[in-house]
Amino acid sequence: MSNRLIVPIADRDTTAYWQALANGKLATTHCRDCGNWTWPPRPICSGCHGADLSLDELAGTGEVFSWIVVHRSTSPDMMQYAPYVLAMVRIDEQRDIYIPGRLISDKEVHRGMRVHVQTEKITDAVGDLVWVAD
Amino acid sequence: MKNKKNRFPSGQAAIVGIGCTEFSKDSGVSTFALATRAISTAIADAGLKIDDIDGLCTFGTADSISPNHLAQALGIQSLSFYVDQYLGGSVSMSVIGQAALAVGAGIADCVVCYRAINSRSEQRKGGAKAPRADMPWDIQFKLPQGYMVPAQEMAMNARAHMLRYGTKNEDFGRLAVLCRANAVDNERAMMRKPFTLDEYMESEWIAEPFHKLDCCLETDGAVAVVVVNAERARDLPHRPVLIQGAAWGGGVSIANNGFDDPAVSPAGPIAERLYATAGMGPRDIDFAEFYDCFTFPLLSQIEGYGFAKAGEVPDMLKDGAFDRTGGSLPVNTHGGLLSEGYLHGMNHVYEAVEQIRGDAGNRQVAKHDVALVTGQLGYISGYSSATILKGA
Repeated sequence: MSNRLIVPIADRDTTAYWQALANGKLATTHCRDCGNWTWPPRPICSGCHGADLSLDELAGTGEVFSWIVVHRSTSPDMMQYAPYVLAMVRIDEQRDIYIPGRLISDKEVHRGMRVHVQTEKITDAVGDLVWVAD
Repeated sequence: MKNKKNRFPSGQAAIVGIGCTEFSKDSGVSTFALATRAISTAIADAGLKIDDIDGLCTFGTADSISPNHLAQALGIQSLSFYVDQYLGGSVSMSVIGQAALAVGAGIADCVVCYRAINSRSEQRKGGAKAPRADMPWDIQFKLPQGYMVPAQEMAMNARAHMLRYGTKNEDFGRLAVLCRANAVDNERAMMRKPFTLDEYMESEWIAEPFHKLDCCLETDGAVAVVVVNAERARDLPHRPVLIQGAAWGGGVSIANNGFDDPAVSPAGPIAERLYATAGMGPRDIDFAEFYDCFTFPLLSQIEGYGFAKAGEVPDMLKDGAFDRTGGSLPVNTHGGLLSEGYLHGMNHVYEAVEQIRGDAGNRQVAKHDVALVTGQLGYISGYSSATILKGA
């Protein structure tokens, strides 16, 4: 478990999401009717407006769409990494979902760079993610 | 619903008074005190009395002073209309639009729209303290990642634009230089020392591709404007500034599924509705005060509100298209949020009114009858807002 000052606070829509990350899985809401994914997890399908959603695991893979290099972080947890790369990752399941996260890479970042998720356990109930270049 | 008839009360309400405090790094007083000072100044400017006020509109993230507290302090026993809109710059022009609706409908006679904030001395954005990550919406997911300040979000979108259109840091830099040059003649501006493009390029990285000089200021201060119906406005001291059009809501952000390329300006959807409310188009606009929390949103709005095709702004900048003197569309004539101060866009309204009145002194633009004034374009909250002001 990692020692962090800023810990995600789960709410009733997101408890399961953060719990999944603590369990080593990136999962989000998935419509049983139309197959549409939503992120962040939501109580309604943004595609068909159905309410029959399940929290399903994503492949945890995608590609970098945009990125920044943070030189001045306002986060006490992140200062140790500065300068660090934050990437907007377009997930493989659906092109209009981008999941941001710190990117770990030995190579220069570029659009289309293939990445995979790495989960991090913060407490028994809450985890987080980083993206790692393939 | 695309062709639904628009019934915005175009030109029926007018801004008749403006007031502001000093813009500083430490006001030394409460946002409550700042608001009362700006409101008193605005009411006096309008040739009215505090007792005339029956509506109060503001916005903020629990960092301003609310209408009910102000009404009590001002001795308003029966407030007819109020708006206490949650959020920041994205909703800023919605209070102007809502004031116009209230006055147009006769619900209120004299509405003051204001914004008071101690954003430097009391509310630094994501200061070094460790906030709990119990923020709503997508912020809950970004905060733990250290993806938590608007500079980072806007830089992420700026990168997408650079990748798609070949936009360069020098292009953002030219906007920063332009805003600073406009602030030199502005006695209200916090930053009045000009800088060069080279100095911009040498300023430190904050969130690459943003340098320090891509980012706006942190400001303590307040701005207030007084809205009455257009008929009454004719009998007051200044040239009435009609609220010709307004639109809000609109926007899309990256957390809205379906918006899949942040290089495309999210100002586009709201621009169409805005122009419809005013019965105008981009060609009717004499000058614009765009929400410039950072350089890139300014560029993106020039595209989104129809003054350039995507990717054209860099060449237009080199040609001086947005210069205060000689430009086809002078922008951010006071120096904007980048150089005047960060009053969440209400200072843009103040400047637009001064320009329309012809009271902008050395900053006065040649054509000054119609102004476009915008709020943050929607990248962050998904909300956006804008208004078109026209001299009577």
